[in-house]
Amino acid sequence: MHRALRAVTGGLVGTVVLSGFLLVLDTQARGTLSVAAVVGRFLGIDGRPLIAIALFAIVTVVLWPALFVAVEGYLPFGPDPATRAVAFAAVIGIVFVVVGRGSITGPILVIYVGFSVLAHLAYGFAFGSIYGRLAG
Amino acid sequence: MIGGGIVLTVIAVLLVAGGTRFLQTKGWSAPIPRPDGGYLSGGETDTEHAEKQSGLLRWLTTVDHKDIGILYLVFGTVAALWGGTEAMMIRTELLTPTADVWTAATYNGLFTTHGITMLFFFVTPVFFGIANYFLPLLLNADDMAFPRINAIAFWMLPPSLLLARAGLPADALGKLLSTVGVKIPFLEALHPPETGWTLYAPLSIQSGNPQVDLLLLGLHLSGIATTLGAINFIITIVSERGENIGWMDVDIFSWTMLSTSGIILFAFPLLGSAVIMMLLDRNLGTTFYLVEGGGPILWQHLFWFFGHPEVYIIFLPATGLVSFILPKFSSRKLFGFKFIVYSTLAIGVLSFGVWAHHMFTTGIDPRIRMSFMFVSLAIAVPSAVKVFNWISTMYDGRIRLTAPMIFAVGSIGTFIIGGVTGVFLAAIPIDLVVHDTYFVVGHFHFILMAIIPMMMFAASYYWYPIITGRMYDQLLARLQAVLTIIGVPITFGSMLIMGALGLPRRYANYPDQFALLQQIASVGAFIIGIGVLLWLWNMVQSYRVGPRVRDADVWNLKRDDAFTREWQWFEEKLADRYGTDGGDPDDD
Repeated sequence: MHRALRAVTGGLVGTVVLSGFLLVLDTQARGTLSVAAVVGRFLGIDGRPLIAIALFAIVTVVLWPALFVAVEGYLPFGPDPATRAVAFAAVIGIVFVVVGRGSITGPILVIYVGFSVLAHLAYGFAFGSIYGRLAG
Repeated sequence: MIGGGIVLTVIAVLLVAGGTRFLQTKGWSAPIPRPDGGYLSGGETDTEHAEKQSGLLRWLTTVDHKDIGILYLVFGTVAALWGGTEAMMIRTELLTPTADVWTAATYNGLFTTHGITMLFFFVTPVFFGIANYFLPLLLNADDMAFPRINAIAFWMLPPSLLLARAGLPADALGKLLSTVGVKIPFLEALHPPETGWTLYAPLSIQSGNPQVDLLLLGLHLSGIATTLGAINFIITIVSERGENIGWMDVDIFSWTMLSTSGIILFAFPLLGSAVIMMLLDRNLGTTFYLVEGGGPILWQHLFWFFGHPEVYIIFLPATGLVSFILPKFSSRKLFGFKFIVYSTLAIGVLSFGVWAHHMFTTGIDPRIRMSFMFVSLAIAVPSAVKVFNWISTMYDGRIRLTAPMIFAVGSIGTFIIGGVTGVFLAAIPIDLVVHDTYFVVGHFHFILMAIIPMMMFAASYYWYPIITGRMYDQLLARLQAVLTIIGVPITFGSMLIMGALGLPRRYANYPDQFALLQQIASVGAFIIGIGVLLWLWNMVQSYRVGPRVRDADVWNLKRDDAFTREWQWFEEKLADRYGTDGGDPDDD
């Protein structure tokens, strides 16, 4: 399979995993934080959650995989693409947490940070392992 | 700025990539702590399962005990992660004395669903999974006695979990649909029950939350599934043993599963009846648990007649695993095998005579309380027999501190604390003082979050090569074992102290003077949580790239004449796959 197609397929699976994690975070948080608002802040389009979610899906399915493919050879923890993608996603997760934080403070911050980073690590692992597996 | 997060992310990724490149030019090879010599999966053809369906269909239609065992293990792990997330949320809420993260109602929902998920959908399925995979191998049986019933018993569990925990998926689905403008009121009506896992009447009858009804149905269904599984284990052990396996040759883990299954057979049908009566009280106006009828105490009697044996249902398999695994890394035979079997059977019988120690403060007749106190104290004796035998097994042995062994030793230590605090609680005068405090929570978590999951971890590490054909990262496994053993006393030791100081359980708010102890408990819980993530990573990543096992004697068991039947089966499987010489390491 072509490298770009592998990346997008991996990105799609990763996005499903990421969405699952973020949906659980949103639901478990019982209204104390809104993941849609976090995503909106991350993308710089605060206040338009539906557009933010749609754009975020495009980013995680296409943009991040494309970036990964571009820098794959330079990422640490190779040659396994899954571990490389975990490192790659850890960076994304940290930026996501910092930029998307907004006014989230107090103990809920522990859940927000832990869950968001974990969600991105799972995204990276799912994406990388599918990307690697489709290489045959 | 629009796209600010994206730009920052790209810059950060490029910085990491550039930094890595720079370090590589300076000679850094970016090694990772992963099992070395690994292979990516996908290059191997498993001929053994050629007759089975492929892909998803295989897992949906399988009646192979090993496959069903794996399904149980995956299901139990998912439930554990779900319930574990709630544990982390509870500990986050308790970082501060006021309920400032979630509302008190949400907190009530959290400890209720945490308890139910862990007790009904995590522990029993995982032990059933381990037993499903290994009992037929240990007993030299072809399969479980009733393979199709085995599959049915498992497939009842996912819907029962969904029923019991419908609140969260319904809420998530509601949120998803509402983003596209669809509103379904029923989805918003389901909230996590706030009754506590014990579902005491009259609170659980008065609750208008329809989720309580679904929970009762879910528990009923899971009870049927568990009973079917137990019947299967009993028949398998009694009548499906291989030709050369007499009763004297039955291993210690099978003995504990036999005892556990016997308890299930008597306990779970009663739970089924009790929850149906509660459903009728809630929906059809019957009076089983109303003051005008049977009374709220009737529910407590029925619930705990099931509930305390349930404690041993989930505890005994863990002791079986200690008894099974500990000698292997002590280079000794299990000390006092017969007495451990007797103690297991004794616990099975006595477990039905202790239930009212949960009800010492309800005003029941003092003479009844006294008899239950004596039996509750007496049940400590067979448990102590096990502990003495485990310690004697290690005494003068050649100890090898592998991850399973660290967990086994840690289990004994933490179990002593959990057991001795249980003896305190069995004494009526002490129970009257610390009843419904954190002391009780600390006590039972020293069992529930110690020997039980620790021996699950130990079993997952001990038998990992058989299940996956690969080896895991042993250093990471040992790190996880140490983290867990450190985290447990930090978390639950703090609870024992708070309880002894009189802090009641099940409140989102608490007095300021307990803040430090609560925060210490939370830090301990987060340490345990990190350990769980390390375990998960190790299991998944090693399955992908762990080094393939060529020699079945992974743990040097032949040297001590401890190469038991499941490993012999594995050796034959390896011989089939790679040839008797172990194959050429480069052949795949």
